[in-house]
Parts: sequence; structure tokens; C-alpha cells
Amino acid sequence: MSIEQHNVKRNIQTPQALAEKKQREKSKIDEFLALTDDVLSRKKKEEWSDDAFELTQRLLQINPEFYTVWNYRRNILLNGIFPHSTPEQINNILSNELSLTTTSLKANPKVYWIWNHRCWCLENVPDGPERNGVPSMEWRQANWDKELFVAERMLDADARNFHAWNYRRYVLANMPTRRPEASELAYTSRKIGANFSNFSAWHQRSKTLVGLWESGQLDPIQSRDDEFELVSNALYTDPDDQSAWIYHRWLIGSGENKSRLEREIQLIFELLQEQPDSKWCMESLVHYKRLLLQNHSPDSQTLKQECVELLSQLMDLDAVRYSRYQDLKRDLDQ
Amino acid sequence: MSTSLLVPLHVAYIRALGDSKDDLSYHLSAHLRMNAVYWGLTALLVMGHGDALDRDEMIDFVMSCWNEEAGAFGAHPDHDAHLLSTLSAIQILLMQNALDRVDVDRIAKFILSLQQPSGVFAGDTFGEVDTRFSYCAINALSLLGKLDKLDVEKTVAYFRRCRNFDGGFGAVAGAESHAAQVFVCVAALAILDKLDEIDQPTLCWWLSERQLPVGGFNGRPEKLEDVCYSFFVLSALSILGKITWIDSSKLEAFILSAQDTESGGIADRPGDMPDVFHTHFGLAGLSLLGYPALVDIDPVYCMPASIIESLGLRKGWKSLQRRTL
Repeated sequence: MSIEQHNVKRNIQTPQALAEKKQREKSKIDEFLALTDDVLSRKKKEEWSDDAFELTQRLLQINPEFYTVWNYRRNILLNGIFPHSTPEQINNILSNELSLTTTSLKANPKVYWIWNHRCWCLENVPDGPERNGVPSMEWRQANWDKELFVAERMLDADARNFHAWNYRRYVLANMPTRRPEASELAYTSRKIGANFSNFSAWHQRSKTLVGLWESGQLDPIQSRDDEFELVSNALYTDPDDQSAWIYHRWLIGSGENKSRLEREIQLIFELLQEQPDSKWCMESLVHYKRLLLQNHSPDSQTLKQECVELLSQLMDLDAVRYSRYQDLKRDLDQ
Repeated sequence: MSTSLLVPLHVAYIRALGDSKDDLSYHLSAHLRMNAVYWGLTALLVMGHGDALDRDEMIDFVMSCWNEEAGAFGAHPDHDAHLLSTLSAIQILLMQNALDRVDVDRIAKFILSLQQPSGVFAGDTFGEVDTRFSYCAINALSLLGKLDKLDVEKTVAYFRRCRNFDGGFGAVAGAESHAAQVFVCVAALAILDKLDEIDQPTLCWWLSERQLPVGGFNGRPEKLEDVCYSFFVLSALSILGKITWIDSSKLEAFILSAQDTESGGIADRPGDMPDVFHTHFGLAGLSLLGYPALVDIDPVYCMPASIIESLGLRKGWKSLQRRTL
């Protein structure tokens, strides 16, 4: 029995098999409880020894979600080990800490506590080594660079792992020498190119672009047009994938640009002719025609009628969201 | 496969959870124990069986997790204090009518000390930040009657930074929208009376699109359905007044099909192992859907609605009407 698990299939066990399992587990339970007792009682006494440090590693290998023991391990480093170490030794210890927890990370890619420990390690890497009598950023840069690489490998294994994406953003934002934001745009292009259905990559792209627009590195008008080209490519390649449609809606925004709105409506209309059952085409057409109505042609009965017809079709085609379409229809009639 | 809710089986399942001391997984989940007790108790209350677990034993357990130095609760005796377990402890004590057992001022102090300059809350003194923790802080302060101590503008400013292009919210500024994070942000903003910070049409659209043909919800685009999203998505929609934007009978059928008809409990999806987390959120979802003979749950606090009402904390959410058998 576990408290929270995902993707674990039920297996009906015979009473005999269950009894055997309990027998096997008994020694593991005793070992785990004894180790836990040992570690927690040393913690209570504020013991910061190398022995204690070693014990926390053993315990965390068995249970990497034991957050109290991660806390204790860090406190041993802070109170017991670092005070007796040179900056160079501290750097080595932390680099080693990051190394040996990588195995655990790969086996447990969604455990918050492991990712959090990495952040702490990075933040504690000291200045150094000294160059011409002045502390450099080299140790820091080396560790942060390596962690960016770890994030990339984790995303190669699972491109939707939000822990890895969050960590990637954290590393990029805090490394001593920042990478240019434009290179992140290229990274999202790669991820999207590998799989149009990678919503996490489209999301990252939306954040990167906003940063580039606000800092003036990219002209928002030209850039948006480029994005429309990119996303329409995705829409035509796989009209069933919602990621591109959601991204497209963001690009349209509030719809103040009339010619852009009309251009995109035409594009989607043409796609609908090729894919007459495309719920996303219809849903998007309704939304964009409503934007036209609200912003540019409030009196157009034609637009209203077109929306009502599309919504009626959607109530059939996408019956799960029937009530939403019904609500939108009612809004139009007002 | 079952098409009805097997209440006695689930009550028995939850009662038996504390008896699995010969299960290794029981011990390996000690770091979640306080949360598990909250999930178990809330599930029982929703089924109308709040007295199925011993009240005194439960209160004693909660108090044994009090960390005197920190002024807050850990997940298990001798585990470090954390916001996640502190919220669960407060919720359990409230549901057991035993909040007088705690030093409210000390807990409020612990919670407030975890707010970062950016407005987000850390989970503990080691500084991991997440909008889940902001929700825990706001929820807990509200239940303790100490919400007036919070710098609301500072707190809301961080939620604003977590808003995404799809109307949703992520774990931290810049993070992808995820239904569980959407729930915590929407519920937190509801407590603070700041629902106007949300792009409601876009978010409600994104939320309605979580429903898959199989009837269950996923947590974000192109992911698998999971019973726990029955609560996270549904409660967000009910807070935003759009609970009708999903197919309730299909969702209900999905949750019911994820029941373990032999051992009791509800799993993440049909055929998988049940656990108390999914049992709790499946039942909470069914309650919001108006499933017969269940107790009303407050979607903002994820606790029995009557308790929240008696504290004067009910917000303007709408669930589906309770059907009669």
C-alpha cells in the first residue's frame, strides 16, 4: 500500500504470494527502521560527523523522498564539513554531491526534493579558483554549465518533464555568465521541430519571445509574423494537436490587428476544407470571428450567423464540451 | 468495473491504511503521513463516515508531529516542519474540532516567515518555492483567522508573474500551466478575493479541454487522464462558475471505473493500484459533481463545506446540484 502512486498496475496476489512478500519485506523494514532511527537520533543530537553524512547517503538511496534527511545532510555539510574545508574542497564536495545524486535523479526524475538539493548545491559553490590573486567564477560556471547539461539530458529522456524545464529556466537565469536569450529561442525551435506536440516547448518559446520583445532584441511585429509562419506549419502538419492551436490563439491576442485576424481566419478556413471534422479549426474560427465582431465589425450579422453555425456543429462533434458551446452561442444571441 | 460508489468498501480501505505496518511501502511513505491522514479523514467525511477512525488517536498523532523549535508541524514524528504538513495538520484538527490544541500565533509566525521577497512562499527554511506553498500559506492563515497579517498585494504580484499564455498558472514564474498548479492559484486568489487577476474565458477554455474522450481529465495537453485531476480541474471550474463546461456524467463514470472493487480505494485510472491520495480526490470530484448521498465539499479549501461556512469563509463557487438516489 502506498499513499500516492501513478501508473502502477493492479496485480491480484494469492494469499500465499502475499505472505511470502511480507516475509521478504520484514528484514527490509527492520533495516530501514533501524537506519531511520539511527539517523534521526543523531540529527536530534546535532551530530555533524562524517559517519552521519555517510548514513544519510545510505538512507536517501533507499528513500530519496525523505525530505528531513536531505535537510540533515545539508546541515551536516554546513555545520560539520564546510567549516573544516578550503574553498577548493567545498567545490569538490559539491561537485561530487551533484554527481552522485544524478543517478538518483535519473531513477526518480519527478522527485522535488532531489531537484531542490541540486539548486542548493549550485548556490553554495564558492568563488574561485583565484586568478592573479582575485577569486574567479570558474568553479561556479563549471558546475552551472554541467547542470544545464543535466537538464538537457533529462529533457531528452522526457521532453514534458516540468521539473527539468523549471530547472533549466532556473539554471539559465542564475548562472554566472548568462547565455544569450536568442540561443534559448533556438533550443525551443529544436524541441518543437522534434515534436510539434511538445506543449512544454511552445510554452518556453512564449516566455523566451516575451523576454526578447521586452528587451528590444527582437522586433515584436516581424517576430510575430515569423511565429505565425512557424505555427501554421505545425497546424497544417497535425491539425489535431492542441499545442499549436493554443499558441496560435496567444499570437492573435486581443485581435486588434484586423488584417492579421482576417488572414489567419482565411488560413484556418482553408484548413477546415481539407479537414472538415477538425474541432480545433471550428473552435478557433469561432473565437477569431468573435474577436472580429468585438473589435472591428460589431454589427455584422453574417459573422454572428457563421459563429452560431460553427457552434452548432461543435455541439455535435465535440459533445463533451456541449455546454460551453451552448453558452458561447447564447452570448452571441445577446 | 463498477457503476456505483462502493462506500462501505472505501471506508474499510481507509480504516485499514494504518494497519499496514508490515508493508515496506507504508514506512517508505512516512514523509507523507500527515497529508495521508488529511486525505483519509476528508474522504471519510465526504462519505459521511467521519467517525470511522479514532478521533483521539488521530489528534495525538497530529500533535506528535509538532516541532517545538520551528513552531509548526512535520509529516511524521521527528520530521522537519514544513508548510505542506502544517496545512494538513490544521485541516485535520479543524475537522476534528480540536484546533484549540495549537498555538495559532506561533504557526502564523512560521508561515509568514516563509514568504520570499518576490511574494512567493517557500515550503521550509531550505527555500524551495512553489505556488503550492503560497496556497498552503494562504489557506492555513485563513483557517487560523490570521489572513489580515498577510501582505496581499505582494502575494498576488507573484501569482500574476505565474500567469501563462494559455490563461493557466505554473509552479513558479515562467513555469508551464499544470492543472494542480491552476487549482492552487485559483483557490488562493479566491481566498484573497482576487479572481479578477485571472483571464477567465481563456483559463476556463483550457480547463474544459482537459477532458478526454474516455471521460477523465488530464493535467496538461497530451498527457494521460488521472482521477486526481477530477478535483483539481473541477474545483477550479466551480470557483470560476463554469462547472457545466465539462461532461459530468462521463467524468463520473470514469471516476467510478477507477475504483478497486476488491480491496476498495480509488486509483489514478482503471486497472491501477488504488491509494488514499486518489481515493480522496476521486471522492472530492464526485461530491462536486453532485453524486448522491455524499457530503458537500468546499472546492477552495478541499474540506467539508459546512465547516468552511461555519468559519464564515465560504466564497462564491458553484458545484452541481446533489442528486437524490
